[in-house]
Amino acid sequence: MQFLQLDFIRSDRGLQIMPEKLTNGIKAPKTLPFEFVPQEAETAVLNNPHAKATTLVDDVLDAMEASFGTAVLERVVYAGERTVRISTDSLLEICTWLKETQGFTYLADLAGIDRFTEEDRYEVFYNLVNMTKGKRLRVVIRIDEESMTAPTLCDIFPAANWNEREAWDMFGLRFEGHPDLRRMFMPEDFEYHPLRKEFPLLGVPGSMALPPQVPTGELTQDPFPAAHGSKTPWSFEEVESEDDV
Amino acid sequence: MSIINNTNFSETLKFWPRHNEAIYRRLESKHSWVENGGDGAAGDPLENEMILNIGPQHPATHGVLRAVVKLDGETIQGCVLDIGYLHRGVEKIAENKTYQEFMPYTDRMDYLSPYSNNVAWCLAVEKLAGIEVPDRAQWIRMMMSEIARISSHLIWMGVGLMDAGAVSMFLWTFQAREDIYEIFDEVAGARLTVSHSRIGGVATDLNAAGINLITKFAADFPAVLAGWEKLLNRNRIWIDRNVGIGHLSAEDVVRMGMTGPNLRGSGVEHDIRRFEPYLKYNDVDFIIPIRTEGDALARYFVRLDEMKESIKIINQCLDKLKTLQGPVRANDAKKSSSSKNEVFYSMEGLIHDFMYTDTGVAPPKGAASYHAIEAPKGELGFYLQSDGTGNPWRARMNSPSFTNLQALETMMEGGVMGDMVILIGTIDPVLGEADK
Amino acid sequence: MGQELPLQEGFLTTRVDAVVNWARSNSLMPMPMGLACCAIEMMAFAAPKYDVARFGSEAMRFSPRQADLMIVAGWVSYKMAHTIRRVWDQMADPKWCISMGACASSGGMHRCYGVVQGCDNFLPVDVYIPGCPPRPEAVIHALMDIQEKIRNQYSIEQDGIYGRDMPVVAANRPTIVTPDGEHAISPAGLYTQR
Repeated sequence: MQFLQLDFIRSDRGLQIMPEKLTNGIKAPKTLPFEFVPQEAETAVLNNPHAKATTLVDDVLDAMEASFGTAVLERVVYAGERTVRISTDSLLEICTWLKETQGFTYLADLAGIDRFTEEDRYEVFYNLVNMTKGKRLRVVIRIDEESMTAPTLCDIFPAANWNEREAWDMFGLRFEGHPDLRRMFMPEDFEYHPLRKEFPLLGVPGSMALPPQVPTGELTQDPFPAAHGSKTPWSFEEVESEDDV
Repeated sequence: MSIINNTNFSETLKFWPRHNEAIYRRLESKHSWVENGGDGAAGDPLENEMILNIGPQHPATHGVLRAVVKLDGETIQGCVLDIGYLHRGVEKIAENKTYQEFMPYTDRMDYLSPYSNNVAWCLAVEKLAGIEVPDRAQWIRMMMSEIARISSHLIWMGVGLMDAGAVSMFLWTFQAREDIYEIFDEVAGARLTVSHSRIGGVATDLNAAGINLITKFAADFPAVLAGWEKLLNRNRIWIDRNVGIGHLSAEDVVRMGMTGPNLRGSGVEHDIRRFEPYLKYNDVDFIIPIRTEGDALARYFVRLDEMKESIKIINQCLDKLKTLQGPVRANDAKKSSSSKNEVFYSMEGLIHDFMYTDTGVAPPKGAASYHAIEAPKGELGFYLQSDGTGNPWRARMNSPSFTNLQALETMMEGGVMGDMVILIGTIDPVLGEADK
Repeated sequence: MGQELPLQEGFLTTRVDAVVNWARSNSLMPMPMGLACCAIEMMAFAAPKYDVARFGSEAMRFSPRQADLMIVAGWVSYKMAHTIRRVWDQMADPKWCISMGACASSGGMHRCYGVVQGCDNFLPVDVYIPGCPPRPEAVIHALMDIQEKIRNQYSIEQDGIYGRDMPVVAANRPTIVTPDGEHAISPAGLYTQR
């Protein structure tokens, strides 16, 4: 039975023009790439349909270069967004300048990135917003594995507090001058920094203990006791002990 | 006598002793010092302050939020929040999944409005890879995101009022949510965690039953909302519980980086739908409700008005969708999944489907971009960095609940215990999103 | 009844059992350990449409002292596991546990460092509910399963043996011996269906 000679088919993608092969019989496809070759950022899409007007901040970046010169290390444009990489020492100065003279009073986001390179392994990005003029800028600093420290932004932007704590928790990046650098999500007893690339996804067995199987027992060190055959006893099976209240 | 020096935490607590010690130490260091009272040996119990641990298991903590408060009678003198009880390392999981595979995880982040999280993730990936979304898909996404906004605000209202004592509101708002669940069930196949949005568009087009359900909901809901407003807006008890509670000035909220209705309740005119318009928000007519009082009551009115504006948007979307026909997903097989017709009936489609599932969208190496949406809770953004493969190198989730919860510590200080539930409700956190 | 040895099974105890089990199964007070998205479906299961009040379980008691059914709804992180176990220990006997959803039963889609791969690693679970999230009808089905489990229990004897040494009990009950001479079911397992 032949397929009907239709120009349009109603598929789950909506109305679509019938692919040629269905009307002409089975044909070998022209190209069949089996391996994907990663592209470099320079050949990326220039006219991004999702680019926003708020990220056209070239004037701010030009003023920044004029005021700070050598502290501005790199400017990247992608998908309409501007990212500026600055030196770690000039972070506080530049952020104060951005807040006071350029009107970037709102810190939207702050986080760390593990680049997993030999030099300058970690990156911290700051997403700053100028609400009144409608501008958004990303500032990036790089931190190397030896020092693992960066100045804190809490004095300029109090919104950075918990985000820096999260960067400490997940990457081990210390922020000098932070009022309260504790772990954010993992318990203090946890010894690793999970978002580092060498930390396994399933975690390190034994890094966190499970509760005891009976109330008077010891913490369970095995993370998968049920899979290893141990069955948590019912409460009426537990033997009464002198500790029971 | 400091409680820190007199207590050996490893003896009193078998689990996480260092963690709890750090929390008590932080509570102590914030203010003068903490009395170890209670037996009479260290002093009169009525003269001492009490440390109360609230949560993580507590009916009114909107999930698993732990607050350790130092109380002087009923007044909260200091508060330390402890989150992370719902942490699963979703940013790390993202580094091991393809962009499409990660979609269900975004559902479980802000699980009160899963559709908007899906849309946020899709938009972020589409911005990173430069994928254009067909118009009909954008209108569908916008309409479903607004329905998700209503559903999230319904839970906020129901649970917030239930915590304050009015349990009936919980039952009524959940009945309204069931109508929304029926819509999601019909359109997306699941009640709560939908994953309907696909990179490049949406999974399936709306059918007549779905459109009927949405039309009926949009027609009936304003009357329901008006009924609740009649009960609450001039209700002496509700107003007294909310007025003046958790007051934050416009400078405070911007300084503390809060987002969403918390900003708008204090007079700051910032909404991502107008700040960085996405989808088709430029083509619909709606206002952004703004209040200037900055207290819990102002935020209540902001969210209530947002629900009404959402209905307006939904009606406009329904009108537009009647006439706008077209595909609901981008036609590029490397950027969005192929339609089932092609997959089942053509060899190319099958291979594309396999490659798309296996490798997925592969944005250029070194590319990085950030896209934010106005989720019901605030600015939900994803900062994605690509390494050229189908898995992101770094997927940072900027969740609004995390940024909003920072302010809770300062808001609680000076309040009384009864205000705690109102404050948590007015910030409207979702711990699944705050804890990532 | 104040004796050293537990009660023997007989006509009277099974009749009393039937009444006690009927009462217990129809007045289960859930303690919702609502952690994540499954908690929303659990709230929907208590909401008017999938009304759980008709099963007698309307009174969601958040205090463990007042509840007898703990519904673990949502993924359990390692940090939260200790809290859940503490709350479970504070619950009075008899108590049952429902593990709701894929995440509570086995870790679900979250196969990563932060999530305990199933709350049965530290809790004795009675009923598992698959789903992500399970529909409220599935949770009702699980509740009915628990009710059936309760109705089949030897409640009086179970209450009598709490805290006692197992060998005393084993001496009075028949044990099932396999061909190699081993016990196939643990003595405590004879009191409930596992």
